[in-house]
Amino acid sequence: MVQINRKLCVGCATCIPYCPVEAFKKEAEERKVYVDEEVCTNCYVCIRNNVCPVGAIEESNLDNFMKQFQHVISDPTVTSEGTGVPGRGTEEAKTNDVTGRYGRGEFGICIDMGRPGIGCRLRDAEKVAMAVAQAGVVLEGPETTPLATLMTDIKTGKLMDEALDTNVLSVIIEGKCPKEKLPDVLMALRRVEKEIETTFCLGIVSRAEQEEVSFFFETLEKLGIPKPFRGKVNVGLGRPLIP
Amino acid sequence: MTHSLHRFGSIESQRNDFVWFIYQSKGINDADFEEKARRAIAIAEKCGSENWGDIKLGCKLKCPVNEIATNLSRQSRIRGVFTKREQVVEFLKEMKEADLGLSVIISGLLDEVLPSCEEAELAPHTINYSLGVWGKKDLLPEEDVLAITSMCGHHMIAANLVRKKMEEVKKGRKSAEKAAEELAVLCPCGIFNQVRAARILQEAAVKA
Repeated sequence: MVQINRKLCVGCATCIPYCPVEAFKKEAEERKVYVDEEVCTNCYVCIRNNVCPVGAIEESNLDNFMKQFQHVISDPTVTSEGTGVPGRGTEEAKTNDVTGRYGRGEFGICIDMGRPGIGCRLRDAEKVAMAVAQAGVVLEGPETTPLATLMTDIKTGKLMDEALDTNVLSVIIEGKCPKEKLPDVLMALRRVEKEIETTFCLGIVSRAEQEEVSFFFETLEKLGIPKPFRGKVNVGLGRPLIP
Repeated sequence: MTHSLHRFGSIESQRNDFVWFIYQSKGINDADFEEKARRAIAIAEKCGSENWGDIKLGCKLKCPVNEIATNLSRQSRIRGVFTKREQVVEFLKEMKEADLGLSVIISGLLDEVLPSCEEAELAPHTINYSLGVWGKKDLLPEEDVLAITSMCGHHMIAANLVRKKMEEVKKGRKSAEKAAEELAVLCPCGIFNQVRAARILQEAAVKA
């Protein structure tokens, strides 16, 4: 946990603008800075970048599983034990030319909860995960995406109760669905976006063949969702089992 | 990494903003990754990548290029930015020629990226399409601030810090370029486009 050493803090407030979730606050009386534990996500931006001129920002023990999860998920430089790669997550479309995770007739769903820059409680991540699971998304497991380690039921997206109040900078809900389920999934997201206290960024992964792309664009048009103008394009140079 | 895909700000300001990635897949083609990554980095440097980095070691604006290249590991994630379409085309052509077997990904405006692939005679395999922001959008900061914060892949750059830098540029305390570089070093993975950020900071200062 990030904490302020009160003996060292001079109340200069240099650190305050650096926090992505505004967890640094100033005391009214002694004018020293403190960390709002309810808001801090343990992303360690402040610690990694030594933003305090007198070194008053310190780490304390992450003394329970949820604090450790919060740190791993919010600090992209930390490697997740479950996935073996840094940060929140997955390779999604980035290595699909090698892994074949998303085949023809399937669409990948990447929901970046709490982005851009708002943060989220895991309670909201659960709402969205359960909504898309019910609409036909098969969620990714703990070997590829850290959020799944908190799920009591991967089929429904239900999280363990003790996780729900934890706030994180962001967490990804990932999965895929057969193409015929894509309209239901997008409609479910339309409904659940009104029930959450944060934002999310939505990415839909498609194979690049014309038939798949046409289906995707037609689906968006039918649902009144604007056609995307940005994309992350895997250019197809990857090969498995290179000696 | 959310903001390699989902970036904000005017379409025109996104036009010269491309994110590149070289990815290995764990347990499948990550043998000898370090050497292959060094070759890919050399190509990106040759093509003029203004910023790039490895999440564990930092971006090239903070850590010397040779130091990053020397200390790569099998788990390293290499990514960066280009600011011109010509750089993207050259990079793709060179990567195709190098034939490293690693996945290569370019993120940006589709009407820039897809023609670049065509020019390099590459047929895209998979596309992750951005459908933008959903939910409580009234929580978002103002557009020019969001355009800058969303250039850091993991949102390590706070909106309040961007506002502070805008103020410093507006008051003439520092140049837009200097302010943009100070923001860029906070993004450890190296996909913060300091060239675009400087432009946005300068425009905000003039507007104010």
